[in-house]
Amino acid sequence: MSTPAPLREKAQTRWMMGQRRQGGMALGLAVAAPLLGGALLLWQAWTLADILGRAVEMGEPMAALMPAILLVATLLVGRTLLGMIGERAGAAAGEAIKLHVRQALFGQLLSRSPRAGDQPASGAAASVVIDQTEALDGFFARYFPAMIQATILPLAFGAVILPLDWLAGLLFLVTAPLIPLFMALAGWGAQIATERQATALSRLSGRFADRLRGMLTLKLFGRADAETAGIVAASDELRRRTLKVLRIAFLSSAVLEFFAALGVAGIALYVGLTFIEFLHLRSTPLTLQAGLFLLLMAPEIYNPLRLLAAHYHDRAAAKAAIAEIEKQLGALPEAIVPLADAKAPSHTGALAVRIDGLTLRTPDRSRTILSDVALTLEPGQHLAIVGPSGIGKTTLLEAIGRLRAHEGEIGLDGLALQDWPEAELRGRVAVLGQKPRIFHGSIAQNIGLGRPGASRAEIARAAELAHVAAFADALPDGLDTLLGEDGVGLSGGQVQRVALARIFLRDAGLILLDEPTAHLDGALEGDVMDTLISYAAGRTLIIATHSMAAAGRMDRAYRIAAQSLVEMPLPHRRDRKGSAA
Amino acid sequence: MKALLKFRPLFANRAKGLLLALALSLVTLAAGVALLGTSGWFITAAALTTLGVSFNLFVPSSLVRGFSFIRILARYGEKLVGHDATLRLLADIRGWLFGRLFPRIPLADRSLRHGDLVSRLTADVDALDTAFLVAIGPIAAAVVVGTVMTAVLAWLIPGAALVYGLCFALAALAVPALLVVSSRRAGTEVVQRAAATRMAVLDGIDGHADLVAFGILGTTQADFADKAGALAAARGRLASYATAASGSVQLLSGLALVSVLWAGLLAFDAGAIDGPVMIGLLLAVLGSFEATGAIVRSVAKLSTAMAAAERLSEVAEAPIAIADPARPMALPEDGAIAFADVTFCYGGNAPVLRDIDLAIAPGQRLAITGPSGSGKSSLLKLLLRLADPQSGRVTLGGVPLTALRQADLHAHIALLSQDSPVFNDSIRNNLLIGRADADDVALWAALDAAQIGAFVRSLPRGLDTVLGEMGRTVSTGQSRRLCLARTLVSNAPVLLLDEPTNGLDRAAELAFFETLKTATAGRTVVLVTHAEIPEGTVDAVVELRNGAVVR
Repeated sequence: MSTPAPLREKAQTRWMMGQRRQGGMALGLAVAAPLLGGALLLWQAWTLADILGRAVEMGEPMAALMPAILLVATLLVGRTLLGMIGERAGAAAGEAIKLHVRQALFGQLLSRSPRAGDQPASGAAASVVIDQTEALDGFFARYFPAMIQATILPLAFGAVILPLDWLAGLLFLVTAPLIPLFMALAGWGAQIATERQATALSRLSGRFADRLRGMLTLKLFGRADAETAGIVAASDELRRRTLKVLRIAFLSSAVLEFFAALGVAGIALYVGLTFIEFLHLRSTPLTLQAGLFLLLMAPEIYNPLRLLAAHYHDRAAAKAAIAEIEKQLGALPEAIVPLADAKAPSHTGALAVRIDGLTLRTPDRSRTILSDVALTLEPGQHLAIVGPSGIGKTTLLEAIGRLRAHEGEIGLDGLALQDWPEAELRGRVAVLGQKPRIFHGSIAQNIGLGRPGASRAEIARAAELAHVAAFADALPDGLDTLLGEDGVGLSGGQVQRVALARIFLRDAGLILLDEPTAHLDGALEGDVMDTLISYAAGRTLIIATHSMAAAGRMDRAYRIAAQSLVEMPLPHRRDRKGSAA
Repeated sequence: MKALLKFRPLFANRAKGLLLALALSLVTLAAGVALLGTSGWFITAAALTTLGVSFNLFVPSSLVRGFSFIRILARYGEKLVGHDATLRLLADIRGWLFGRLFPRIPLADRSLRHGDLVSRLTADVDALDTAFLVAIGPIAAAVVVGTVMTAVLAWLIPGAALVYGLCFALAALAVPALLVVSSRRAGTEVVQRAAATRMAVLDGIDGHADLVAFGILGTTQADFADKAGALAAARGRLASYATAASGSVQLLSGLALVSVLWAGLLAFDAGAIDGPVMIGLLLAVLGSFEATGAIVRSVAKLSTAMAAAERLSEVAEAPIAIADPARPMALPEDGAIAFADVTFCYGGNAPVLRDIDLAIAPGQRLAITGPSGSGKSSLLKLLLRLADPQSGRVTLGGVPLTALRQADLHAHIALLSQDSPVFNDSIRNNLLIGRADADDVALWAALDAAQIGAFVRSLPRGLDTVLGEMGRTVSTGQSRRLCLARTLVSNAPVLLLDEPTNGLDRAAELAFFETLKTATAGRTVVLVTHAEIPEGTVDAVVELRNGAVVR
């Protein structure tokens, strides 16, 4: 983050140009085809001027001009084909590059620790992977080929014209390179403003997402009108910002238009004045054919630049997008990180847990949650961790599950946690978080995540154990009922039971459960705990819970207080109806 | 197209700006055509003249200069005016959509996934917004330029007019129409696949810990690669259609040029036209192709805009499940709530509530207990009229809820739901959602009552602390308590608290119940919970089982 801005920008540009490789052959074609088309254009303009000159100046009859007319027609067809090849290849290159970048970004996001402090929120991550990456499309599919054309074609055209008429050639050769210079001057301001606009857009989109998520709450508090007005105000603010950018950005296109119009007008006047012998700048007289050729080429000289200007915002948008990607992710990915599923573990059986001198902090390291704690758990023991909310039960569980960083020692079966191969660890440790994610798909698919490849019967059995079947059977599609994003359509208790069913598909030696019964009432809590405990026989189990009833079913209980772990007497196993009051 | 036409009123509001932009783009095109035509005529006439320096220079040279400057200015004006109008339109459409969406909440259609909705609101609105400027405008301009050129040709080279006119019409109208029809499916596919890919990212990040814990990152990555690949393939198909269309337009332009050349030379041979005019016309024809150049890109945008319009109107025109009565009754003074013989089910499923009879007196504190899925939350939904029962009535002060304005009802009854969100905003703004005019004293009182005042005081920026997306900077229990404070700060005489102590430990839970009495003094409270409620917290307890009152 301390890298100076210009250096960072250079690195970003280098990264973007580096992605060209992913465009491969297609990008090459997208660049080459229009260049060849430019050569054909010269030929076509010359032939057309030739036809007109011979007809009007020499009075040649139509029949003599036939071959030349046919040649013009053929050249037109050829240019069309080249144009199509270039366009389609550009699109293919853009898609290939975006696909690669998306995979690289997603891989980078997944390969980090899930609780890393710099992990972007899901909305921002989706915006980076989908929308910001989409902004690269225009750069590679259109801007890049246009840039090569704009660099080569005007100079090539000018060089061809120079021997024909030194003044016109010089005019082209001098004005053409001036245009990008002026455009860069005008575009420089636009670039800064475009970046600012991208930030505004991303914030606006974040506001949408956030307000949408809570739309029901807003409606119930009578905020519908206020929030609608807020969205309009935010959009209007965006308009004012954007317009400020555009006033400058459009100057660059006006500059271009100025030169293009000046080129045509200048050539027309120069050629006309030469013809009526008002100007005497040539040593040889000018033919009508040559004069017309100059006029036909005058707008074409500036066309590649016009094309470049039309796609100039593609470049600005891509650069702004890359800056945004780097800001959100901290770094730009180089290659696609290959990730693998956990394999079936080579050993099974309960794991021993040994914690010593463990210190846990918040991801931004601003606060210490647990300090220098110790804990030893024999294989097959069941442990409850209790304590007020926010005290660090979840953090401890996640640390043992290697879902977040820790200081000090955590050992499983005598092997330090950090030395466990990922696949082996995941095969032997099962974790149920406090807020398990329900993925978009059916109930059965969601349960099946517990073990990819689990059979339908196994999934049904797990659903039975977790009391999912109890409510799923009442649904029209049963276990095949599709769930909305993050379990829309399920109550909190139902979400928890679906997530719990995943655990039953696994043959884990250590089970970490975070508030597995938080949303369940007394009777159901008792039933779920019954199945859990019978499943956890011969496995090590740690649950974090508020429920004394659940804690009472364990072998031991610890309390978190003042950043340390304190063993406490096991809460009395209460009557399942829970009439402690 | 039909869906797009539905948005006509929104476009009509900005018609002045949009039409001005269109007119300016026509001036730009016309100036370009005239510049080339005049130049061609001028140099040919100059080449053929025998008058030498006495040739009338003044008119053509000033025309050439004039057309150049008109073109420069018109181009700049067109861009600025057009973008201003479009951006104003953008704010209009966003506000319009939000306004349409609110009455339709909660959305009945479960398939409206959150990620998809976000993509609709931003991308679709953007696509619809630019429909005029980048799609309809250029096509309209091309039609005008083509018509005028055809008329000029019909006058001067009649033999060329027919083919030119036909080619131009095909390029400006038939090719776009064909492209729209053929790329329709591919366009819809792109949007759907982009939404699916977005969903995969949302699932991947929000479910990251689960994915890591289950060791299925490989599967997740492969699944994402499939989705992103499918998106790329769909976009590729769309690009193929666009390429075919732009090739056709270019071929038609070529055909038009060759036919004008042909007919022009024939007319010249026959002495029907003089050389300078013929060459001037030919150059003008070349210049007129500038109008067709942008068409294909416009059509691609038009297809996107049409798909967007369709999907937007699908959301915006979804039937309003719960409508306000035509002549709402005033909110009754007496706030007694009664359920009479209420039966309710979700869309043809088994009833979740059966023959419920329940009376809640003003100021009463009632607890509703029962196993999960017994219908407790549905009872609250009916009370807020987020759904209507299939039979029976829910009344407030004897007035059926269906006779009241929803806004009045919602101002009367505040809800803390199980999934109440914390907004990505300051703590203060989060609380002010409950009551916009609450002062700091009221906010702190609510925070204290929700047992989170001490935490907020410990934050360096206090009430001005900004909470992250989905409340990520606070714990689940803390965000729950902030939502509770938001509910408490509202002025509503009736509070519905759905599992308010979820995420609290027992001590905090007990403390909450302790303060509940004072915090809600004088208000009616309906508490849905399965926690053990200390004696004296509530006046009555109702137990639901399987959709029926058992106690």
